[in-house]
Amino acid sequence: MRERSWAALPAVMLAVVAATQIVLTETQGLSPWKGGGFGMFSTLDGRPFRYVRIFVRAPERSEELAVPPSLEELAASAEILPSDLQLERLARGVIAREQRRGRPADEVRIDLWRVDFAVGSLAPRDRLLRRYEFRAAP
Amino acid sequence: MGPWFVRATLLLLSMLGLISGAWLRAPALWLALAVLVAVRVVVEWPLPDNHIYLLAYWCLGVAMALRFTDAPSQLARSSRLLLGLVFAFAVLWKAVLSPDYRDGRFFAVTLLTDDRFSDVVQLIGGLTDAQLRENREYLTPLPEGAELLTPPVLHEPRRFRLLVFLATWGTLAMEALAAGLWLAPVTRPSLLLLRHIVVLLFCLTTYAFAPVAGFGWLLIVLGMVSCVPDDRWLRMLYVATYAIVLLYSEAPWASLALTGLG
Repeated sequence: MRERSWAALPAVMLAVVAATQIVLTETQGLSPWKGGGFGMFSTLDGRPFRYVRIFVRAPERSEELAVPPSLEELAASAEILPSDLQLERLARGVIAREQRRGRPADEVRIDLWRVDFAVGSLAPRDRLLRRYEFRAAP
Repeated sequence: MGPWFVRATLLLLSMLGLISGAWLRAPALWLALAVLVAVRVVVEWPLPDNHIYLLAYWCLGVAMALRFTDAPSQLARSSRLLLGLVFAFAVLWKAVLSPDYRDGRFFAVTLLTDDRFSDVVQLIGGLTDAQLRENREYLTPLPEGAELLTPPVLHEPRRFRLLVFLATWGTLAMEALAAGLWLAPVTRPSLLLLRHIVVLLFCLTTYAFAPVAGFGWLLIVLGMVSCVPDDRWLRMLYVATYAIVLLYSEAPWASLALTGLG
């Protein structure tokens, strides 16, 4: 009996993680594709139909930035799990990159969008999921 | 395979297991592998794919099984539960939690927009290259308030609709059957055989299209260790399926067929 219980331990862990993933999709906006819940290939609620737009502001500057290759991983993490933590990591990454290049960046705004497709016609429509603003320490 | 310290250690430990039978049967080695894979999941959270989690559970299952005298049956039990739960959660997501799966939107949009499916969509779905391009244009949202003078049209020939229907409901039916058969305490030989047939069929059909061979190989390993010693033919079928999934991932079969058909 004891041996049988040990054999079930990995399955119990799988079930706990997968149940937690479902909760995180509801509470934190985690994409069903990730997080160990086996929701891949079940929904369009994931990349590339979730995407971020990044805007930087400084006294003489206000512009949108394309996601550079060096920040792709942070952007992907924020798209998959748009929590404060992931969005702040991305915002800090943007400011650090701008400062390395000698460009002023006091504030970063990150908009997370999702493309919805209409039932039947599949007509696409963008929907703002979350807006996050970050101000760099002076 | 994660950050360098995880990757290097994983490769070294795997090498030890491959060159020495004693290491291969050491629970500590498998426990270390499980921990390393788990570290990768944590360090790269939330990016890792679901089969990386499954790999960690599987390594832990092997480590647990090797601690006991009847390791093969412990391993089979562990694998049976893992397989059943993987399919059960996949069914839960598709059948209950994702409305865009049930109404066919998921496969319709994915097949049309994901480059990796473009050959299959033309070969089986009957779309021309030009129709596929126009469909992609149609599925790209315009900026708020914008309107095109001649908006693109969505082409959905009968063959494409059939492909979407089969992909949606065929996948769900196979996964539901697999979940039921692997989680239920079946004892009838015909049902035990059916368990394996479903996994083999799932791998042979799904991984011809889905670009995640690593997941397929893991499912095959989980199924194979659940065979009893007399299941020589079944094991060979699993090995053959492993090779076919490998070929699917390496050979652009749909592109070759499309070129061959002119």
